[in-house]
Amino acid sequence: MSTSAVRTEPPAAAPDIQWGMPSRLIASFSGTAGLVVKLVLLAILNSIAVWAGIILARDDKWIALVVLAAATIAIDLVYLSKRAGAVPLKFLIPGTVFLIAFTVLPILYTINVAFQEYAVGHIITKGEAVKAIEENSLAQPDDGKTYVMAPANDSSGKLVLVLVEDQSGKAFVGTPDGLEPLASDKVKVDDVGLITGAEGYTVLKGQALVDADTALANYLIPLGNGSAIHAEGLDTALELRPTLRYDESANTFTRLKDNVAFKDNGRGSFVAANGEELEPGWRTYKGTANFTSIATDPLIRKPFLRVLAWTFAYATVAVLGSFFIGLFLAIALDKPGLRFSKVYRGLIFIPFAIPGFIVLLVWAGLLNDDFGVVNQVLHLHVPWLFDPWWAKVSVILVSIWMSVPYFFLVSLGSLQSIPNELVEAARVDGAGAWQVFRKITLPLLLVAVTPLLIASFAFNFNDFGKIYLLTGGGPQAEDQSVAGSTDILISYTYKLAFAAGKGTDYGLAAALSLVIFIIVGGISAAAFWRSRSLEEMR
Amino acid sequence: MKSTWRITALVLAIATTALAAVAGTASAAPAAGTSASATTIRIWADGNRKAAVERVAGAWARSRGVTVEVVLKEFGDIRTNLSTVTADAAPDVIVGAHDWTGELAAGGLVVPLTPRKTATAAFPKYTLDSFSYGTGVKRLYGTPVAVENIGLVVNTKLAHVPTSFADLEKQALAFKKKKSGNLALAVPQGANGDAYHMYPLFSGLGGYVFGTTARGTLNPKDVGVANKRFLANAPLIDKWNKEGLINSKVDYDTAKNAFLKKQAAFWITGPWESNSLADSGLKYKIVQLPRIKYRSAPFLGVQGFMVTKFAAGHGVSSLAKDLVGSYMMGTGAQVTLAAANGRYPANINAGRRVTDAVLKQFGAASAGGVPMPNIPQMASVWSELGGAWVKSTKGSGATPAKRSFSVAARNISNKIG
Repeated sequence: MSTSAVRTEPPAAAPDIQWGMPSRLIASFSGTAGLVVKLVLLAILNSIAVWAGIILARDDKWIALVVLAAATIAIDLVYLSKRAGAVPLKFLIPGTVFLIAFTVLPILYTINVAFQEYAVGHIITKGEAVKAIEENSLAQPDDGKTYVMAPANDSSGKLVLVLVEDQSGKAFVGTPDGLEPLASDKVKVDDVGLITGAEGYTVLKGQALVDADTALANYLIPLGNGSAIHAEGLDTALELRPTLRYDESANTFTRLKDNVAFKDNGRGSFVAANGEELEPGWRTYKGTANFTSIATDPLIRKPFLRVLAWTFAYATVAVLGSFFIGLFLAIALDKPGLRFSKVYRGLIFIPFAIPGFIVLLVWAGLLNDDFGVVNQVLHLHVPWLFDPWWAKVSVILVSIWMSVPYFFLVSLGSLQSIPNELVEAARVDGAGAWQVFRKITLPLLLVAVTPLLIASFAFNFNDFGKIYLLTGGGPQAEDQSVAGSTDILISYTYKLAFAAGKGTDYGLAAALSLVIFIIVGGISAAAFWRSRSLEEMR
Repeated sequence: MKSTWRITALVLAIATTALAAVAGTASAAPAAGTSASATTIRIWADGNRKAAVERVAGAWARSRGVTVEVVLKEFGDIRTNLSTVTADAAPDVIVGAHDWTGELAAGGLVVPLTPRKTATAAFPKYTLDSFSYGTGVKRLYGTPVAVENIGLVVNTKLAHVPTSFADLEKQALAFKKKKSGNLALAVPQGANGDAYHMYPLFSGLGGYVFGTTARGTLNPKDVGVANKRFLANAPLIDKWNKEGLINSKVDYDTAKNAFLKKQAAFWITGPWESNSLADSGLKYKIVQLPRIKYRSAPFLGVQGFMVTKFAAGHGVSSLAKDLVGSYMMGTGAQVTLAAANGRYPANINAGRRVTDAVLKQFGAASAGGVPMPNIPQMASVWSELGGAWVKSTKGSGATPAKRSFSVAARNISNKIG
């Protein structure tokens, strides 16, 4: 009874119009109160823009600053304008801003990264990399000496290092010109061996020491034999010898012991003729190399088609399976006068109400083939997660379990929107139940549901979480490749980009994501285009 | 009309300026504060260690007249966020695991340290080696603070401490037969494997992950996952699989619950389970897994502190090196930092102060252990090595171990490229 009552209920038309809450809220934006609200909101927006502008100006991001200023002024003008032509813009602008911020910018950023060498070992800039290579290549000579150090100012206020050699106990004063001996009795040392004072010099303490930090870190006392004394921390200095030399004009590092040259390979590394590479490299553009490696690297190429086929199969079966089961349940429970129908609906809805990652972890436990509940209760020995084919079945079953409620709800709603007269007319013309379903209900239902099916397909196609949490892409496939037997494109991308080579490779990940984006986008576009023909039936 | 416009513009301008001024002072306040009063060292630490780091670094900071800001981070996030963080928000010092060293050093994100020899003398060589990296010159990139490793936990009410691997095998299988639901050796794997917990069995059969070069650095071209010695012993894995000594369907929670519910007499786990062991009320002893064909050495994990490249940009690089490369190597700092998350300290003198029996037993089980490889190529190893164990120990239908480990070795080499 309840469902039919809903359908035939007349619209609540009363002589005195009682405006709803939303209408009253919108109405409050007119008049003086509305102007004040508008001004406050715009003022907040403007002040955020001013604040962002200050940061951009400080970081020398001038183009971004111009864009920000132009956008802010445009928004102000649109919302302050009284012209009728500005009204549509008032509604368009918020959506456009969010579209740009959350969809367009990430896509542009991904495209940008896809053409870069940006991976473990290629994070910093070239200048930083050169500096790091120089620092990392310093070696402690076998006979290198260690000193107790105290930074001090000489009589003219210049920074010098007062040094006491660890073994001999001899004292020195180090300057960028070299090392000068100092009479030991001129240096005061405390009970733990730290220098507290030196005659003729002011030892830096407290804030003066803190302020000298950078000067100290870059301080070098050349020793003439190729080594130099470096400060290490605040009270130690030691002898270090470079093993590489950078020639800026030739853009080349040379190894001192054998004169091997490491040349800039144009892809963010200094590489020797024998392939030896200096670390770190730097982040740089490298053309289409990420895309060509998708096509040529056997690691990617070999299992690609298998993974692609499984991704399609999985997404298709999971979507169609959950749709038809959901539709079946909806038809079964759409009987007017069915008792406890609300209870059934509530029960069916439960899988949808539990957070997905919990569902997946629970299912991973339930399906464990020796200790899982499923096998124990059913007295089975099905290797649900340990056999390549059964794991595929498990993934599809769990996926269907999770999305049936969604399609149940959608189908139930759509069924109720199909006019009863059509069904009755078909019945009068002598159509059986199956014929009615096939010729009337399903086509009308598909008009409403097809876009949702396409969206659901695209979602399943990229549902990284489901695969990662349920099977982790495993078990290993028969072809013994890196891709597991339940890996879909996106989870395989993850393995390639984050768990191969030296670890994370953002550039390759971005390139692979773009390929997937094009595939999914293409399929969705084609499907939507086809579904337009469905709509014409109406 | 005109007057409305003017009023509107005026109100808007005033409101904007006022709000911007408020926002400006709010965001500028901490910056102004720090530059005026004191220099700040920013440290990224995880929840377990935050308080201890604050205490240790705070004491150091007072002596140096600077301040310390400890930023709370998920442990794993510290590694990944360091490569994407902006210089402004970046830390000067991080807490980290030794196996991040290669990735961070190869990325130029952490800087080398050269502590005094008198300081490093108090550390076992492997703890320093595990934080050392370099394809050319091998340099130290971190101060080791705490060490951890897995061991064999024996329920001494259900079994006696095995005298040999054969003894372990006999006791474990007899216990398994007693009751359905019992496990022989509770060592976690699961659908995707667990190369870390399986490592003692792997090394006991002669397996290794990377060989070393003449210079003493790890060699990613020498993958020992299917070396000759190991392959000769691999049929033992098929035997264990057949008799049910190990079973890849046992995952972490299954193994843990089985031991705690007395459904397993032997469990392979590490000091992070100290609390659940203490709470269990069971009588147990922790030893190293008995020698199989070779010493069943576990992987060693070392945690410590590193100085980032950002410290130089913040003008605190000497201060940061003083904190990490000198102060944190001291006995007192080591005791506090290692105790923060219940680990054995890296410093030998600090280790002498440990009284906890469980930590001591785990420490003894580390003998001859192998530091987890710290070169970034390790990223290519974990899933393949774990997967090889799963394929060869999943009961009926398992792949012979010889084949699954050979395939894994090939895949690893291909992935490293």
